[in-house]
Amino acid sequence: MTASASSSRKYPGSLFRFRVPIPQSATLLAALIGAAAFLGGWQLLVSLHVVAPAFLPTPLKVAQTFIRMCTDGSMLPNTVVSVRRVWLAFILSALLAVPLGILMSGYRIIGATLEPMIDFIRYLPVPALVPLAIIWFGVGETTKIFLLWLGTFFQLVLMIAADMKRIPNEYFETAYTLGARPRETLLPVALPAMLPQLMDSMRISLGWCWTYVIIAEIVASDSGLGFVIWTARRFMKTDQVMAGVIMIGLIGLVTDQCLRLLHRKLFRYQ
Amino acid sequence: MEQISPYLQFRNVTKFFGDVPVVQEPFNLSIPSGHFTVFLGPSGCGKTTLMRMIGGLDTPTSGEILLQGTPVGEPDIRRGMVFQSYSSFPWLTVRKNIEFGMRFRRDLSASQKKDRAEHFLKLVGLGDFAKSFPSRISGGMRQRVAIARTLAADPDVLLMDEPFGALDANLREDLQFELRKIQKSSGKTTIFVTHDVEEAVFLADRIIVFGPRPAHVIADIDVTSLIGAERNETVRDSEQFFHLRTEILHLLRGRQVREIAA
Repeated sequence: MTASASSSRKYPGSLFRFRVPIPQSATLLAALIGAAAFLGGWQLLVSLHVVAPAFLPTPLKVAQTFIRMCTDGSMLPNTVVSVRRVWLAFILSALLAVPLGILMSGYRIIGATLEPMIDFIRYLPVPALVPLAIIWFGVGETTKIFLLWLGTFFQLVLMIAADMKRIPNEYFETAYTLGARPRETLLPVALPAMLPQLMDSMRISLGWCWTYVIIAEIVASDSGLGFVIWTARRFMKTDQVMAGVIMIGLIGLVTDQCLRLLHRKLFRYQ
Repeated sequence: MEQISPYLQFRNVTKFFGDVPVVQEPFNLSIPSGHFTVFLGPSGCGKTTLMRMIGGLDTPTSGEILLQGTPVGEPDIRRGMVFQSYSSFPWLTVRKNIEFGMRFRRDLSASQKKDRAEHFLKLVGLGDFAKSFPSRISGGMRQRVAIARTLAADPDVLLMDEPFGALDANLREDLQFELRKIQKSSGKTTIFVTHDVEEAVFLADRIIVFGPRPAHVIADIDVTSLIGAERNETVRDSEQFFHLRTEILHLLRGRQVREIAA
């Protein structure tokens, strides 16, 4: 470790060795340099009048707008609305997908019945279903939740079924020879055995929810971050559009990190 | 043994997976209570399938397996199984793993289960690791956890599918010694599957030697009459042990040579 660290200081070229780890300091520095170069290049594009500020405001301007919107009440209430929609739809998806996915993999006949249908539905693009959702549920809250649920449930259920299928047979067979009947293995064996994978699957599908909530809010809404972005676009307020997008990115980043932390804490035994 | 019916019995058992014969010739075998029987043979010879059928994890295509005179059915607590891999539950501590062995026993009170768990924890020498998770202990300890868990369930028959297959040689010998001791003191009828000749000779009262698939018996060896019932580390160095080991190796090898020539 020390040898490679000192040699990389002497020869910068050694940082480019194929598949060879680099020191932690270099990792951090590289990330900072990358971000600074990106922001610097962006600033330069505007300062040198390559792109008009109306199309691309400077990073500083976007940051100022972001802070202003967070304090003047135009951003946060809409953020809360979007977060609420995402979590509501996600929880609805998960509550149905987890038991159904487990059953589909546990009892192959249930899987055989449902899988072709689910496979078909999950390839339908959510935006294509917006008109149908509006016909059925109008333009209210139900439509948005329905669209988000539609976009995640069918993906999630197959992921859960796959998670269940990956559990080694030995776990079940051990339980059988200790006196468990097959359905008695679901809670004490199947669920804990698949839980780490299951949580990862849910974390991934939560990310998709964010994609769909913005679509739903752009198409039919008077609130939420998608609405904020779309309204700002109508008045060519590019800085506000970008501030809204940044908010979505931040929420995604924070949520993901929190869930990863929870994952590490819960599954310390691994 | 002539009059009384055997404890465990294979009667004309065959097994096909689809068209693939695993046990083609009707297989017959009687195992008395308390015996340590080893199924020895090359990989894929069908020895594991035969053992899994005792456990109810596979079903015979024809014939039947009797335990104390009645056909065995679906898996249950009377026939406990220890696997080579994924043998202990990684999400439970060592103690909880052993307690899991009694989870489906309704005849024991909570405090009885606790006491039994403690007893078997000590029996396999894991008292100091009760609160550890399987990922934090060695592979040998994990197999001890699985053995203790199965013993805690108190099955009539102990089935072991190459439980020491993934361990290194020294550890293997230690565990073989302990297992033989535990088996003799508990009197559990044990079927142990392995392809390791030395392991088979050290552990077994009796070895059933299988040739390559489809399963057929090429020798049925009464080990105890040849090297005695006492098994300790000096037994491994004895002349009888060495002779028996060599004989079985030749048996397995000669068989292969003949099959290739044929």
